[in-house]
Amino acid sequence: MKAAVASTHKGGMWAWLLQRITAVLLIVCLAIHLIFTHLLNIGQLDYGNVANRLAHGSLTAVDIILLAAGIYHALNGLRMVLMDYWFTSRTRALSLTLGLWVVGLAFMVYGTWALWPWIS
Amino acid sequence: MSAKPREVANVGAGLWEGTGMWAWLLFRISGLLLVFYLGAHIIIISTARWSSGGATFNSLMKTFDNWALIVLDMALVVAVLYHALNGVRIILMDMGIGIRRHKLMFWSAMAVVVICFAIFAWVGFTYIATGKGVSW
Repeated sequence: MKAAVASTHKGGMWAWLLQRITAVLLIVCLAIHLIFTHLLNIGQLDYGNVANRLAHGSLTAVDIILLAAGIYHALNGLRMVLMDYWFTSRTRALSLTLGLWVVGLAFMVYGTWALWPWIS
Repeated sequence: MSAKPREVANVGAGLWEGTGMWAWLLFRISGLLLVFYLGAHIIIISTARWSSGGATFNSLMKTFDNWALIVLDMALVVAVLYHALNGVRIILMDMGIGIRRHKLMFWSAMAVVVICFAIFAWVGFTYIATGKGVSW
């Protein structure tokens, strides 16, 4: 059953595996992100209290993992949906994959720039 | 490449009738919603760096601080929890766990969704009602 699911997955074996790895990362990191941002620190969100939270290196690390895992998981998921309906041929699927990698890397660079004061 | 039966391709995502089909459809809808939310979230939160001291960010956060948008946040929490817990069910089923009891698996996942949502709803609606958070 395991082998059957992985080997017949039309997105490819590595995408299938990475989708599951990023899913687990997202569950753990998103739980931390939501608990610290929205359950424990409730009140008006502003630059000051967000910056205070990001001053803890471990929460910055969680945000970087969320950025990378979130972008990959979101765009690969979008790719799987689009390949079911519009990008059905091999060449179309390939151009979709390349296009989404460009979008994903651009978001990753932009997100890293936005987090840079807390990374450096 | 696309010549294999969907029943095999999507065995984890749904057994293609009844509960499994609806679980799969809601998984797709919530997933697509979350893709667009993630894009918006990255752009909006990154406004923290658009002006020094986060002036743009602060004025945006003030705009978002109203009850209607907090109710919308609660809908987002439902989408996140549903997608996460149904995803856990799919991963377990990919590993061969619970395929024969897929309905029990689905409804157990939904029970976890309800419990987690109750916590967020309690905090969210307390904030709407009192303007303060819950002190734990």
